[in-house]
Amino acid sequence: MKLLKKTHRMFKLHRIFIKQDLKRLMEYKIDFLTGAVGMLLAQAINLFFLSIIFSQIPSLDGYTFEQIIFIYGFSLLPKAIDHLFFDNLWSIGYFIIRKGDFDKYLTRPVSTLFAVTVEKFQVDAFGELVVGIAFLCVSIPKVNLDVNLINILLFITAVFFATFIFTGIKLITSSIAFWTKRSGHITHMFYMVNDFAKYPTTIYNRVLSFIITFIIPFAFTAFFPASYFLGNGNALFNIGGTAVMAIVLMAVGIFVWNKGVSSYESAGS
Amino acid sequence: MRKILRIYKPFTHAGFLLAAQYRVNFIFFVFGDIIRCFISYFLWHAVFTSGGNNTFMGFSEVDMTVYIFISFLTGIVAYSDGSYIVGEEIRDGNIAMRLIKPIRFDLAFLFQELGERTVTAMIIFVPMMAGVEIYKFVVTGAVGFNIWCFLLYLVSLILSYLINFYFNVCYGYSAFVLKNLWGSNLLKECIVNFLSGGIVPLAFMPAGLGFVLNLLPFASLTYIPVMIYLGMYDVPTILMSLGLQVFWLVFFIFLQRIIWNACVRRMSVQGG
Repeated sequence: MKLLKKTHRMFKLHRIFIKQDLKRLMEYKIDFLTGAVGMLLAQAINLFFLSIIFSQIPSLDGYTFEQIIFIYGFSLLPKAIDHLFFDNLWSIGYFIIRKGDFDKYLTRPVSTLFAVTVEKFQVDAFGELVVGIAFLCVSIPKVNLDVNLINILLFITAVFFATFIFTGIKLITSSIAFWTKRSGHITHMFYMVNDFAKYPTTIYNRVLSFIITFIIPFAFTAFFPASYFLGNGNALFNIGGTAVMAIVLMAVGIFVWNKGVSSYESAGS
Repeated sequence: MRKILRIYKPFTHAGFLLAAQYRVNFIFFVFGDIIRCFISYFLWHAVFTSGGNNTFMGFSEVDMTVYIFISFLTGIVAYSDGSYIVGEEIRDGNIAMRLIKPIRFDLAFLFQELGERTVTAMIIFVPMMAGVEIYKFVVTGAVGFNIWCFLLYLVSLILSYLINFYFNVCYGYSAFVLKNLWGSNLLKECIVNFLSGGIVPLAFMPAGLGFVLNLLPFASLTYIPVMIYLGMYDVPTILMSLGLQVFWLVFFIFLQRIIWNACVRRMSVQGG
C-alpha cells in the first residue's frame, strides 16, 4: 500500500514536471519545430543511404532491405524512449556537477536520481519515435512476421528492457562526474557505440561483435531482439539477454550513482 | 597584411591555449565519432562482399574506405563553430562588447578559431593520414601515396575551412531574427552533412541531382577535397574545383559583410 502511494506520488510529480517543461518549450516554438524537422530529415537521409546501397545489391549479408529497415526501426524505439525521459543524465556529466548545481537536488524530498531525470522531458525524442514506428509499420508486412499476442508482449518487453540498457550505460558513465567533475565526453564515447546496433552484428569482425554483445551490450538494444522477431535465434537469448543486460547495467548504475552522491563535493563558489 | 597579423595574433594564441586545455575532451569526442567511421567501413565491407562486384558505382572497396575516413578527417579539421558562437553572443548580448572594440568582428573569430583548429589538426591529422596510408599499403600491397594529390588536398582543405567558417558566420547572424538557434543548427548540420558528401559520395546521387550538388557550396566543404585526395579528378577538373572553391569563399565573405552591415544597425541587445 505504501509502495503504491509512493509510485502514485512519483507519477503525479512527473506530470507536473512535464507540464513545466512543455511551457518552457512553447517559448521557442519555431526553434523546436525546426529541430524536429531536422531530426526527421536525418532519419530520411539514412533511409536514402540504405536505398542507394540496396539499389546495387539484393541482400546485405543475407538480410533484405525490409529486414534491415525493421532492425533499424526497432533500434530507434528504445533510444527514443530513453531520450524522452532520461536525457538530463547528459547534463550531469557536462555541467550540473561541475557548476555545483547538483546541490539543489540534495535538498529535495525525493531521491536524487528521480529528481534529476524528472526535470527534463526531451520532446525532440518524438522525432525518433515517429520515424521508428513508421519504419516498423512499413517493414512488418514484408518481413514475414507473426503478429500474435505472445509476440506483441515480447516486443513490448524487449523495448522496455532495451531502453534501460541505454539508461544504464548513461547512468554509469555520467556518475563518473561525481569524482571527476566532468564526464560528458566519456558518456559520448560509450553512447556512440549504439549505432553499431542498427545493422546485423554478423557484418562486424569477431572482436567488435564480442564488445557490442557482452561489454557495451548495445547489440541487445536492437539487433538481437529484432532478429528474434525476424525468425532467427531463440527468445531466451535474444529477449532474455536484453532483460539480463538491462537489469545488470541498471543495478551497477544505481550503485555507482549512490556511491557518487555520497562522495559528492559541491564545486567552488 | 602585417598589421592585421599583428593585431589578431593574440586571438590565435588564445584559441590555441583554449583548445589545448580541452584536448582530453576532444580526444574522447573524436574517439566516439570515429566509431561511426568503423560502422560505415564494416557496412561497406559487407556491401562489397554481398554484391560480388569489385566496384560500387565506380568506387572500389579501398576507395570507399579511404573516402569514409578522409571525409571524416576533412569534416573534423574544417569544422567551424561560427554559427554557435555568433548565435550565442547575439543571444546573450555579449556582442555589444565586441562592437565597442576597434577590431573586426569576423577576423577576431577567424583568428581565434585558427588557433583551435591548429590543435585539432596536430592531434588528429597525422595519425589518421598515416592510418589510411598504411591501410592502403596493406590491402593493395603498393605505396599509393601521391604527394601532388596530398598537397592539392591540403590547399583544398584550407579553402574548405574558410568557406565553412564564413558560411557558418552568415548562418549565425540569423540569430538576429530567430534569437534561439538550437533547432535551426540541428537542421543545418543535417542538410550540410548530406549535401557535402559526408554520408555518401555525391557520385552516387542520380545524375541530374549530382550535377547540381557538385556546383553548390556544400560540395566544396568535403566532397572536393576528398576526391582530390583520392586522385579521382584529372587536372582540368581539379583546377575547376579549386576555382569553384575560391568563388564560394569570395561569395560568402561578401555576403557576411552585407548581412553584418545590415544587421548591426537594427540590433537590439537583450539584457547583457
